[in-house]
Amino acid sequence: MRLPAACLNLILVLFLNKKFYDVTLRDGNHALRHQLTLDFLVKYCRLARKSSSYAVEVGHGNGLGASSYLIGKSRLTDEEMLRAARANLGDKLLGVHAIPGLATIERDLKPAIDLGVDLVRVATHATEASLAETHLEFLVKKNVIAHGVLMMSHMNSVDGLVRQARLMVDFGASAIVLMDSAGNFRPDDVTERVVALRETIGVEVGFHAHNNFGLAIANASSAEKAGATLLDGAAMGLGAGSGNAQLEALVAVSNAGDEDLKMDPFYDLSDLTALECAGSLPKVTSTSLRSGMAGAFSGFAPHVQRLSDELGVPVEVLWNEIGRRRIVAGQESILREIALDLMNL
Amino acid sequence: MNRVKELKDRKAVKQLIIKALILGSGNIGTDLALRMRNDQRFEVVGLVGRRPESEGLLKAEERGIPIFSEGASQALAGEIAFNVVFDATSATNHIEHWNLISDRKCLVIDLTPSQLGRPMVPILIGRHDKFALTGQELTQKNFSMITCGGQSAAALIYAMQKGSNRILEVEISSSIASRSAGLATRRNIDNYIMATESLASSISGTRKSKAILVLNPTDPPVMMRTTVTVNAIGMKVDVANQMLSEMEEAMQDFVPGYRIVVPIFSENENIYSATAIVEGAGFYLPKFAGNLDVINAAAVETAGRLFESHFGAFLE
Repeated sequence: MRLPAACLNLILVLFLNKKFYDVTLRDGNHALRHQLTLDFLVKYCRLARKSSSYAVEVGHGNGLGASSYLIGKSRLTDEEMLRAARANLGDKLLGVHAIPGLATIERDLKPAIDLGVDLVRVATHATEASLAETHLEFLVKKNVIAHGVLMMSHMNSVDGLVRQARLMVDFGASAIVLMDSAGNFRPDDVTERVVALRETIGVEVGFHAHNNFGLAIANASSAEKAGATLLDGAAMGLGAGSGNAQLEALVAVSNAGDEDLKMDPFYDLSDLTALECAGSLPKVTSTSLRSGMAGAFSGFAPHVQRLSDELGVPVEVLWNEIGRRRIVAGQESILREIALDLMNL
Repeated sequence: MNRVKELKDRKAVKQLIIKALILGSGNIGTDLALRMRNDQRFEVVGLVGRRPESEGLLKAEERGIPIFSEGASQALAGEIAFNVVFDATSATNHIEHWNLISDRKCLVIDLTPSQLGRPMVPILIGRHDKFALTGQELTQKNFSMITCGGQSAAALIYAMQKGSNRILEVEISSSIASRSAGLATRRNIDNYIMATESLASSISGTRKSKAILVLNPTDPPVMMRTTVTVNAIGMKVDVANQMLSEMEEAMQDFVPGYRIVVPIFSENENIYSATAIVEGAGFYLPKFAGNLDVINAAAVETAGRLFESHFGAFLE
């Protein structure tokens, strides 16, 4: 059973030169408030190994070492998730997300590699690529596939993104992924940024969409047309805020007209996710639109909702203030202070 | 009563001025030099850098501080008399410097993340057993200032520890302005995390500790902000908060920009959290660099406290 999936993967990589990166079990953990269960993880991995995705990413919503009071405690430890994923993914590449400042080499990266992780995406805020230096250099030395990720990429200029991406390439990243963490981009914004990177950095470019404006598929498609070859998606769009590009839709759109296209495994992943995560499926809502307009990190959504319920500050007022103060991911603890400040005005 | 002021007024201390040598003419070292120039307990006998044209050395010279541009090893081997060395170079360099001066009768304050010396948090001296300075003969004379996150979180952790029966888990998350984090900080971010976690463990008494550092590039730059969250048994929030306001006042004696912005509150059952911000004093560093300010203030305070109790130990 392993061979067909592996072959298809190879065909995709070599001939179509297009890779679908499945983030359901990582970004989707945001939608599940980091309460992903072992049962769902195992079922998902067993189906995912039959899909033509390039890799499956697993973890806490903010990646390795991110389980915390600040962001949210994970039901499963990193080790539990990686062990189970490795055992059930067959030959499929196993990926993780790692943010320096949360994930350290000793405590997090080394054990993850020992547990069979094939690919690590080292992620920083869109202006802070230099934080990735030691992590990327370590991964290169370890012969692990190392990608660089620029999160909240709407918070840097096109030139700025090119400079930051170059830094990560210098540190050893073999691909650069732009994340639209706030779901703030329109298709033209994506095209402009992907083209700029394709022309300058000399490594593969990826794009990770969020659906705040209902544009995730359109944005991912634009990225592909502009030359991005790593396309992030999640089954049923399961991800932070209003979710990611819906993987099954993205594969269908991207391969329209291809008679050999095997959609069945993606349909299975979609059905499984729809069933198992029924209460957590992301939608475009007034909240996601507000956070998208404010350019705020989608992962703040549950924190904002909770504070609004507790303190009675309207959500839109909170989102606007978070956007105005340009709060970045990882600053969850300031949200309460902002809410208290707003109450005192 | 402002303790620093009180000290400065004391004749005894006035007569015995502490000769301080500062290694490293980057932001930290230069700020230290200008800071101690305003402090009557100290005489800065030298700021040591490697490039004569470096901004820090020029600035110090302008203010009448002796400068040396031949590097730390040269300066340490030379004729300069000093009672305390502040090392603001790098972790690897600090190990080299320590080898050159470990035999000498001087105090060493390490501002690098080398973790070579004894971790010291001045706010906990006389309060917490692990940070006691007892005995006339000090066995250690190399003191590590750990990290800015550690120095700013110590008061919070201590208050929470005092207000509860037992802390089961502790978490420190700090956010700082991107512009206040130099390349060395960025490259050493893992060291920062490990050193901060180890300090949190030693104050709180639990091995389960986590440190998080976030850089925010916003302009105008954000102030340093540190949140401590604990999982604790038997927390009495009012007792802990009373202790916290005492600690805040004590911190303000040497870090005037230290403020508790969210006092201890219960987030969930057994989960308690509080936040402090640090606005820098602006000696050489900009005011938003509260992270650099708090570690420099801690370094000077530690040296001051040690000389107050053990002056004889550091006279050559």
